Amino acid sequence: MDFFLLLISTGLVSGAAYGLIAMGFALIYKATGVVNFAHGELVMLTAYISFSLASAFDLSFFPLMALTIPISMAIGLALERIFIRPMLGEPIFAIVMVTVGLAVILRGVTIMIWGPDPFNATAGLPTGVIEIGSIPFYPAQLYMIGALAVMTLLAWLFLRFSRLGIAMRAVAANETAALLVGISVSRIHAFAWMFSSAIASVAGVLFAANFKLAPDLWFQGLKSFPAVILGGMDSVIGAALAGLIIGVVENLFQGYVGQGLREISGFIVIIIVLMVRPYGLFGSREIERV
Amino acid sequence: MRKHIIAITAALMLSTTAYAAEPGVTDTEIKVGDVNIMTGPASFIGRAVAVGSKIAAAEINAAGGVNGRKIVVVTEDDGYIPARSFQALTKLIEVDGIFALNGTSGTANVLAMMPLITENNLPTVVTTAPNELVYKPVRPSVFTVGASYSDAFYGQLKYIHDNLVKEGGVYGLIRQDDDFGGAIEHGYERAVKEFGLKDAMRLRYKKGTANFAAEMAQMKQAGVNVLANGGIIAGAANILGEARKLGMDMQVAGVWSEDMPPSVNLSAPAGYDYLVADYVALNGPAVDAFLEKAKQFASADEIAAINRYTYITYVGLKVLANAMAQCGQDLTRACTIEKLKATNGFDAGGLTAPISFDNEQQLSGTAVAVYQLNAKDKTFKALTDFVEY
Amino acid sequence: MRTGHYKESLGQLVALTDSPTVKAWSIGLVVVLLAAPFAIGNYGLTLMVSALIAVIGAVGLNMLTGTTGLISLGQAGFLAVGAYTNAILLADFGWPVWLSLPAAGIAAAIVSIIVGIPSLRLKGLYLAITTLAFAFIINHIILYAEWLTHGPNGVFVTGATLFDIDLQKGKPLYYLTLGITILTILAALNISRTRIGRAWMAIRDHDIAARVMGIDLVRYKLLAFMCSSFIVGIAGALISLQIRFVNIDVFALILSIEALAIIILGGLGSIAGAVLGAVFLSFLPEAIRLFFTAFVDPNSTFYTSYVFEIRGVVYGVVIVVFLRFVPDGLIGLWRNVRKYWSNWPLAY
Repeated sequence: MDFFLLLISTGLVSGAAYGLIAMGFALIYKATGVVNFAHGELVMLTAYISFSLASAFDLSFFPLMALTIPISMAIGLALERIFIRPMLGEPIFAIVMVTVGLAVILRGVTIMIWGPDPFNATAGLPTGVIEIGSIPFYPAQLYMIGALAVMTLLAWLFLRFSRLGIAMRAVAANETAALLVGISVSRIHAFAWMFSSAIASVAGVLFAANFKLAPDLWFQGLKSFPAVILGGMDSVIGAALAGLIIGVVENLFQGYVGQGLREISGFIVIIIVLMVRPYGLFGSREIERV
Repeated sequence: MRKHIIAITAALMLSTTAYAAEPGVTDTEIKVGDVNIMTGPASFIGRAVAVGSKIAAAEINAAGGVNGRKIVVVTEDDGYIPARSFQALTKLIEVDGIFALNGTSGTANVLAMMPLITENNLPTVVTTAPNELVYKPVRPSVFTVGASYSDAFYGQLKYIHDNLVKEGGVYGLIRQDDDFGGAIEHGYERAVKEFGLKDAMRLRYKKGTANFAAEMAQMKQAGVNVLANGGIIAGAANILGEARKLGMDMQVAGVWSEDMPPSVNLSAPAGYDYLVADYVALNGPAVDAFLEKAKQFASADEIAAINRYTYITYVGLKVLANAMAQCGQDLTRACTIEKLKATNGFDAGGLTAPISFDNEQQLSGTAVAVYQLNAKDKTFKALTDFVEY
Repeated sequence: MRTGHYKESLGQLVALTDSPTVKAWSIGLVVVLLAAPFAIGNYGLTLMVSALIAVIGAVGLNMLTGTTGLISLGQAGFLAVGAYTNAILLADFGWPVWLSLPAAGIAAAIVSIIVGIPSLRLKGLYLAITTLAFAFIINHIILYAEWLTHGPNGVFVTGATLFDIDLQKGKPLYYLTLGITILTILAALNISRTRIGRAWMAIRDHDIAARVMGIDLVRYKLLAFMCSSFIVGIAGALISLQIRFVNIDVFALILSIEALAIIILGGLGSIAGAVLGAVFLSFLPEAIRLFFTAFVDPNSTFYTSYVFEIRGVVYGVVIVVFLRFVPDGLIGLWRNVRKYWSNWPLAY
């Protein structure tokens, strides 16, 4: 039983990491229709920036986040204005490929600035072991799960009750109609990128605190794709939930079936689910007029 | 018609190789190639290798070069991708015209380059990929320095069994699911059979895994108290971090990549005084002397990047230069290969055991020394001397 | 200026082109390619072979993504299947190369049916990620099926000889690849003009309407997967012949993304675009290298310590800038140039 609880608990941690990264993907896809292939690199870049800040100023966690989140929002805004805004109106494939090119650039720039060495990035969190019941946790792991819960709640409240959130949902549903109602679509796009970067920074900082900061952190972006798909590409809450599911499933597979099946178990799950629900668990079905 | 095709093709192929009498050698310089990991996350290895080549070349050139010819190191990047290694070596051979090869990147990379190496009879010293596949079957122009991962792990497990956990040892292995992991399991298997160890759990994981919670939970459930840790860098650190969280009390044997300073920084906080076995010296007078030399020839940034890969590349280039020097003024690839093959007891300045290539597999430096980390002050203590296992 | 198209026989109707200019230029291009090995050295030949293999792979992917509209990120998996099949048949079973190459294609096609069946209901990115998932799974299976694939040790590919000529070196490999490339392009051009090609385009444009008109989606989608993967499998087999060593490290997932980049940069949906995109992206790293050696001072320390990373970043910058100014891809650029040329001094 202990073994089972251990697997579930740590599955929730890695699932929370997937979920946070997936939420960023889903937010941009929901608001702009673009699959941001550079999201993993954005997570990595913001994690490195927070590492530099933490080493320079010796901050604890919440002050560090208070500093990192605005900076990453600024970076998200800058990337959107420089790379995506000029592509307004172009075919969607071209914009997606621009994000691929952007990913290559961000990867190279990160190594050029910080070098290829891996770092211990504790993000100002304590490092002693905490016991909840009989399960041991590192504070960084608890913070990861907590961050997912907080972010999901914030996202739900935002999209449901705030003017900006409702405007975002309107833009996601039908851009032309949103323009007709007076919503500035380009501002919504900018906000989507800003908030996605904010979530990315939280994901990056906590991921580095849990699993070390290395220049191959961008690969986690690719590994979070199953969570995005499972939850439905345009459902932010769904992405968070799907991330948790995939994290737990991966751990259970590795623990009970074993032998390197961790990675592909997530993919097998999404293949099976997609055969039954082709738009993911919570995704909205695209209505086509014939 | 068929004869015509064969004749024309043969003539064309001959014509392209006829001019290549002795490429890379002029009266004033010798070009040595280096296919290296200069981009991507693994580039801290490539950086260290480049520093090693630079220091060795600078030292040799400062002493007058090889029979009056200066060594020029030409580097090409492969980003740890085997297809690019092949292309990089083609460029080095065709466009830059190198004489010999000293940097060979990883195992899959050097295997991808092998057909080109044998075709051109390129004298090659392999120091960073001592995998069995490189020297079995043996290629006439390839000389390998380095112990196998298998021997390294066997040596550590032997030490643990003899000195640290004399009885009641429950052994576990966690390794990557590729040839590197396979070599580690080979050494583990050998120790298990020879010492009759209790083999409780063997786990594989895919390269790039960051979350080892399930694996360590399985280890804990099996009651493992001696871990053969086949993880590297961040992976190894995460494995030890999970073990510390679960409160596992154990001895750990690790890969030699864990004696590099960045890896130590990652793993030390978990508090395990883990062992490593390496065919390169990590401390002692040899290393101190090397660092003195380094200050002369390298910048401060480069010195900060020095790790075991620097030492081994330095030794590789010195052995190559030594063989080239013995050929005198008439420097050819065939002569260099002959002299390399005859190398016996070349003194590597104590950085490794003496180098001798006069065996069937043209393999040397197979003796490993076992070191233990002191996690608190991040230093290594030598537990054994260089021993052949 | 042409004023009408008079076709008098069935042969003329189904010919790929009736314009003597197009025929002349095509023949000229083929002659240049045939004569190229006598002018460029071995390194240039290696680059050309890589570029031609990229062309074959791109034409295959274009059949699936450009013509049928099924986005696939699983190309790395099909390349791996083709390469491993070719390698194992050549090295372990001693098959002759003219049998192992088609067998590689057929193996990839069979695997693609397995990939295609769960993907029938999926659209857009869902389909792309499912194919990505299959690529992961294929890699995993190849790694663990050690009894067949030598697991992580990889397979050395030797023994590809035809009429006693070793096909894995220099000029013979180039001519083999060139021949297969020409055949592939002709096949793709022809298929897209048949009933099958038109059905694919209908599926791409609006699949529900296509179904309503009687096009069997299941059959044609699976056919698209099969034909595309056959070609990609052969491309993988050629990779194995060139590099002479296969290992799953050679077929990392990044290849799938690069393949998609080739298609999009060349212009989605057009075979000529796929060819142009493949050639462009294959020679881009080399062009960047030459640019740097010619124009940048090699002595500044920032440059020397990061020269390779900088080249990587420039690669990304070129892609971004290119798409900014030519979002329709290289084929769009070509069409604009052609229109400008034929319309000048008029605007339209």
